[in-house]
Amino acid sequence: MTEEITHSNWKLRKGQIIAAKQMTASEKWFDIKLDDGRLDHEPGQFVQVELYGIGEAPISVCSSPTKRGSFELTVRAAGRLTKAMHALGKGDWVGIRGPFGKPFPVKLMTGNDLLFVAGGLGIAPLRSLINYVVDNRREFGKVDILLGCKTPKDMLFGDEVSGWQKRLDVNFSCTVDRSDPDWKGNVGLITGLIPGVTINPEKTFSVVVGPPIMYKFVIAELLKKGIPERQIILSLERHMKCGMGKCGHCQIDHPKNYYCCKDGPTFTYEEVKAAKKL
Amino acid sequence: MNYHILKKDELDGFIRKLATKMKVCAPVAKGHNNFAFEEVSSAAGIALDYIPTILPPKKYFMPPREKLLDFDISGDKPRDTASVDAEKLAIFGVHTCDLAGIQCLNMVFSEKPRDYNYILRKENIFIIGLECSRYCDGSATCALVGNHYPNGGYDLFFTELGDKFIIHVNTQKGEDLVEGMGLPKASSAYLESLDDVREEKRAVFQNEIGVDQKTLAGIVAARQESKVWQEIGSRCVSCGNCTNVCPTCYCFDMADTINLDMKTGFRTRTWDSCQFETFATVAGGENFRAERAGRQRHRINRKFSYPLDKFYRSFCTGCGRCTRTCMAKISLKDTLKALVAESRSVSHGTGQYSSSSLPLSGDESMVKG
Amino acid sequence: MKTEKEPVKTAAKPKVAFFDFACCEGCQLQVANIGESLLDILGAVDVVEFREVMSEKYDKDYDVAIIEGSITDHHAEERLKKIRARSKVLIAYGACAAIGGVNGMKNSFDLDEIRQSVYGKDFKLFPSSPTRPIHQVVKVDYTINGCPIYPPELIEVLKHALRGLPYTVPDNPVCSECKLNENVCMYERGVSCLGPWTKAGCNSWCVNNGNICYGCRGEVTNPAKNANDVIGKYNLKPELVKNKFDMYNKCKEGDINVNRK
Repeated sequence: MTEEITHSNWKLRKGQIIAAKQMTASEKWFDIKLDDGRLDHEPGQFVQVELYGIGEAPISVCSSPTKRGSFELTVRAAGRLTKAMHALGKGDWVGIRGPFGKPFPVKLMTGNDLLFVAGGLGIAPLRSLINYVVDNRREFGKVDILLGCKTPKDMLFGDEVSGWQKRLDVNFSCTVDRSDPDWKGNVGLITGLIPGVTINPEKTFSVVVGPPIMYKFVIAELLKKGIPERQIILSLERHMKCGMGKCGHCQIDHPKNYYCCKDGPTFTYEEVKAAKKL
Repeated sequence: MNYHILKKDELDGFIRKLATKMKVCAPVAKGHNNFAFEEVSSAAGIALDYIPTILPPKKYFMPPREKLLDFDISGDKPRDTASVDAEKLAIFGVHTCDLAGIQCLNMVFSEKPRDYNYILRKENIFIIGLECSRYCDGSATCALVGNHYPNGGYDLFFTELGDKFIIHVNTQKGEDLVEGMGLPKASSAYLESLDDVREEKRAVFQNEIGVDQKTLAGIVAARQESKVWQEIGSRCVSCGNCTNVCPTCYCFDMADTINLDMKTGFRTRTWDSCQFETFATVAGGENFRAERAGRQRHRINRKFSYPLDKFYRSFCTGCGRCTRTCMAKISLKDTLKALVAESRSVSHGTGQYSSSSLPLSGDESMVKG
Repeated sequence: MKTEKEPVKTAAKPKVAFFDFACCEGCQLQVANIGESLLDILGAVDVVEFREVMSEKYDKDYDVAIIEGSITDHHAEERLKKIRARSKVLIAYGACAAIGGVNGMKNSFDLDEIRQSVYGKDFKLFPSSPTRPIHQVVKVDYTINGCPIYPPELIEVLKHALRGLPYTVPDNPVCSECKLNENVCMYERGVSCLGPWTKAGCNSWCVNNGNICYGCRGEVTNPAKNANDVIGKYNLKPELVKNKFDMYNKCKEGDINVNRK
């Protein structure tokens, strides 16, 4: 007896790509409009993107909730699905489930100083929060943004980044692993930028997003600055498949066995410091 | 609710009548001391005396392969439909370990966001339990987790009393069935006999590890760096047998299939295993659980440590399937005993292992002799 | 919705050709016997060469070339290279093409010795080289394992190839699927089975039908470190399992050489 499940959590919302742009050799940006209303996400959350007949991949929403009408994704061609997604363009449809996950603790951060540390593609989920902060600038104290990428060519959201750079109420620094002749900025690891930032540790929240290898070193620097563990916020990378805390793929080796998709992906360092790997 | 009586020689009539109302599945002998739940139409094929089946009854609640969605991309905008095949079904002869397994899965899939595929199936399944008066074999650890006695999770529950079964009726559905079949109510003499059966079991079933569940959870949490994981990891085949046969393992993977018309297709989920090589790999290539030792530890954590925190119960049902099925002789009982022994030698200061940096969630000093 | 790298043009169906080298042609027979789905496949593609069912030859480039059999002499090597040059996508199908298969047993002997025993005293007139699977000679885009191939997998791979998507062969042991089919383990029956070391993807086809796994799909990438524990549990000798494995997997040694290059 086959029964239709109209309220199934597996059903997909339909999203149409209204704009797309190749940002770097491996990253493509998409602007997606849902046919049934708003995504209603908060900074730090992700969606499952379904390419019908190929499969699903978890992608962080990189636009701020303050942006109305559509939401944005930045997709790195890393796996089977994300590679296939790079072939999509304006007018194409995708399936969407979500938003999923625990957002960045924006309420807790309100009224405090913020230190953003983004490595590589980590700028995508952080951009959602940074743009939210910039759009509600009065609600926050001092804002520092530290950005690191492999080479100047890998820089994502270049126009927006230079916008942040020009603002008087945002301190911005950027570094690259490998320079090119036109680059006039810093060269070296992102950890090198942290000692130069002046902070009031008690009232600073640091939000760190980057590849797993970056966390250990960045966190050590932040702790040296005296930022309390509960004020260091991370977004962890795991393969989030179902998004509902069930399929088991994104579970973290930690005494609390967090599911990254439900208990995270954002965590305070205090919550996850006992994890085998960040 | 009530207790009723069914004579053993009337079991065949009971099953036949039940089979006119719905599909009936029961343990059936498959040879070589292997059993499986399969469809039956009479009591003739049912193995009343059986050791845990190859796959637990979870296969009826969450099939190994299941369709979640049908989709159609022929039009401008894709369309999809979610549906479930929820057949009316009775499972007869479910042991108390497997009843506990179903209770665990009920909690997991009822937790929001709900999994309606599971829930709709569950609503259509009628469960008839069957009591064990002795151990099935040496692999079982049901007394450790307190699953040698029934603890709900069924519509009817059968206990053998000589040439009869005494039936505990636990739900209205169960009541309607036994009333409809005209089974007589049990007199107080039968209830006394049932008490005797339970009392005798007290002597037969003894905690197989010698440590209570809560203490064990603490030991497992504290022994995360134990050499025990390395030892079982060095033998592990990564075949996923232990998780596939586990009544409370529910990890799954999802995949899309497109039909040859290249316009329609479907999305399925399949049981997955944390023991598989690539289970915790992300698209960029990093594997967060690349070593077999870490994967085995994860499996034990998910049975003895994590669920106690989250669901206030062990997710090991004590059925012993993981031990029986292991291609590499990895025994759950031996693993737990080794962890307990190691923990004792550490707490007595004779151990060679440094104590873990992880916080204890139980008190190791409570280890009983 | 366009999701494929090179969309299949609906006007002209993709040209698919089947070729065979050293093999029993049993995999072609599997294709011919596929039944109802064969009509669906034929609806999606144009089969332009298929020796077992048609005599026509095709003189243009192939969209997909499907190769059966292994390479055992220089004539075969040259012919395969020509096919590769004319094919956009090349699929190796069947154990002989994918891993060398039973033809690889030849590699266990001295080449001249084995030629002599097959061709007699004039053996020098018959060229022969050690058996190689297709990927040891030319680039292979997709692999379909099995002796014979498992037809549902052929259909899946074909669909992936037509859409330009990569196909992933499960890298878990056959046990992972066998258990889902609730088979009584062959070891429980007292028979040694190669399931614990062999790549899944066949839905444990042989065991479902009462046979053991012969390892025809090749070894998993990271097999159990200590097979003795598995064999020891059932009182079997490790050499027995090793010998059984060589029946299909002798050419694996060639992969090690390829990797070293």
